Amino acid sequence: MVFALSKWEVLLQQGVNGLILGSFYALVALGYSMVYGIIKLLNFAHGDIYMTGAFVCLSVFGVLSGVLPGWAGIACSIVAAMIFSAVLGWLAQRFAYRPLLGAPRLSLLITAIGVSLVIYNTVMAITNSQPLFFTSGLDNAAGIKIGGITVTYIQLILLSVAACVMIGLTLFIGSTRTGKAMRAIALDQDTCRLMGINVNKVIGLTFLLGSALAALAGGLACVYYGNVQYNMGYTIGIKAFTAAVIGGIGSIPGAMLGGLLLGLLEAVGTQLLDSSWKDVFAFGLLILILILRPNGLLGKSEIERM
Amino acid sequence: MRKHAIRYIAVLAALTLLSSVFAGCGKTSGGTEAEKPITIGVLVPLSGSEAYYGNDMLQSYKLACDEINAAGGVLGRKLALYEADDGCDPNMATQAASKIIAKGVDFVVGGYGSGATIPTLQLFYDEDLLMLVSCANSTDITKLGLNQTFMINSPGTHAVITLTELCKSLGTKKVALIHQGDAYTKNLSDICEKELPKSDIAIAKVQVMEKNTPDVSAIVTAIRNSGADFVYWCGYHADGSNVIKQLRRGGYQGNIAVGDGSASVELISACGSDGEGVYVTSPPFVEFAQGGEKFVADYKAKFNMAPGTYATLCYDTIYLLKEAIEQAGTTETASVRDAVQGAAYQGLSGMIKFTPEREPAVSNFIILQIKDGKFDLVTL
Repeated sequence: MVFALSKWEVLLQQGVNGLILGSFYALVALGYSMVYGIIKLLNFAHGDIYMTGAFVCLSVFGVLSGVLPGWAGIACSIVAAMIFSAVLGWLAQRFAYRPLLGAPRLSLLITAIGVSLVIYNTVMAITNSQPLFFTSGLDNAAGIKIGGITVTYIQLILLSVAACVMIGLTLFIGSTRTGKAMRAIALDQDTCRLMGINVNKVIGLTFLLGSALAALAGGLACVYYGNVQYNMGYTIGIKAFTAAVIGGIGSIPGAMLGGLLLGLLEAVGTQLLDSSWKDVFAFGLLILILILRPNGLLGKSEIERM
Repeated sequence: MRKHAIRYIAVLAALTLLSSVFAGCGKTSGGTEAEKPITIGVLVPLSGSEAYYGNDMLQSYKLACDEINAAGGVLGRKLALYEADDGCDPNMATQAASKIIAKGVDFVVGGYGSGATIPTLQLFYDEDLLMLVSCANSTDITKLGLNQTFMINSPGTHAVITLTELCKSLGTKKVALIHQGDAYTKNLSDICEKELPKSDIAIAKVQVMEKNTPDVSAIVTAIRNSGADFVYWCGYHADGSNVIKQLRRGGYQGNIAVGDGSASVELISACGSDGEGVYVTSPPFVEFAQGGEKFVADYKAKFNMAPGTYATLCYDTIYLLKEAIEQAGTTETASVRDAVQGAAYQGLSGMIKFTPEREPAVSNFIILQIKDGKFDLVTL
């Protein structure tokens, strides 16, 4: 048996690996970036929304699997997860963040940490800290082989879903009335109010969208990786936040670029150095990028108080 | 304040004196030696987070003692157990040990967590009490150099002995190791890295998968590129299923084995079809022991629950002690100690023999393989 790959195959395969990982980061980073763009809040609960999405997807699929097996069931479960998490994100916004919009920025930040801990500990208590496993009965290894490179069907679906969502979101923000309102609120909330834009409604919609995207990532992670645990949102939350900053926080294409870049750097770092050094490699380079471009790759420079 | 302190000390001293007088009474009165039961102190956690395991241990000891008593006892005397709760906590454990010593027992068994067990060992040694440690398996136990303390359970290093045998039988050339960066899994990986090359098995790559970072595809590609034909997962089952699935998905076709941190039936359901053929270096589960069915049935009939992971080790501990006492012909510590040192007892958990350092001479790890959605015992 020959297992070894040629040099180019290894590099390409690591590229595929990095793209998959980066897609997850990008989907979560979008929510961070949208919320920060519009109300300048680092929504620490975002990683937990992602985790909730994974749990809802797993639970709904457990109920549905008898009726709707395979891909139909998976699609329905992910949609259910997106709806649930969107509502959860909206509720957090309505009852925890909105009353504090006029308060000092730090209060809002601490509230976000509070919301994060509430969700995290609730799920921990419900699941008794035990991991849950997702089994769909589908053939995980089935896919396309080009030379030594393997791309499974699940990976292809994942990449295309992520790409469609990102393109859709860019179009939505760029060319619809609501998208225009979002961009306007990001620039100047008070003026928007004077111009007759329902600011609260648009902010609510931003949370709905961002949370739905995080839940989409969570649901896909549940299907793709197969295990779901209460603390799964922590690491990806931090990495997605990093991705959003690298791309230029507040910028939608920036969040995608940052996510994909971070995923690729981690994969290449694992190959070139070692898995224990991959974060050192990836984050070292990211620090370098930030030194050269303090506002991120696609961020605009503006004078900002934190 | 000082006056109070002195008074307390005085009262304590008086109490200690009194209790030793009573203890002395207990030893002299109460019939002749031959009629008295042989008392075995049991040091196990009966409260706290590890209470389930402590209870399982105690029940296994009871099962063995009841069987032996029903068959006539040892040297014509019955066995009696005296248990004390160590709470799997060093402080509680020393109190429990004092309780056992005050009771005037003949032998001591038990010891679940190494952290709680180690502080008691010197106390038992000072009282010249033989201690058979059934579960705790840190090699720090034998490092104390106490010649009446024996370890029944294999230390983690023994997993590597079993792993080496498996690798040899599969004709393995290059092994890739994956651990999770914490003390336990890193240690296992380090031992493999040191020991496997001694049997001409090369180490291709050592990788780290941090907890809660589910994506290991980059590691999988790096492992494929390294030409490894065997992957050993040193971590726990929650992430292990994920590693196995991604190895198979990423086109890895060689053998996969997982360590005892992943020896759980949950691993099978979590892996699905990708788990087929995966090996496990596992603690001696009773289901796979010879004569295990009878043990499971007896245990269930008596306690109305299934035996736990360490049940066979504890059961074997009592029978080992019985054999040693019979061979010595007395309950005198020094003679029984020598008999235990020279013992070769075939128990449910495997062959029990000791090295001069009083560690198990034979690994009690077994090899399981996932076949048709079940664990199957592999004999090499």
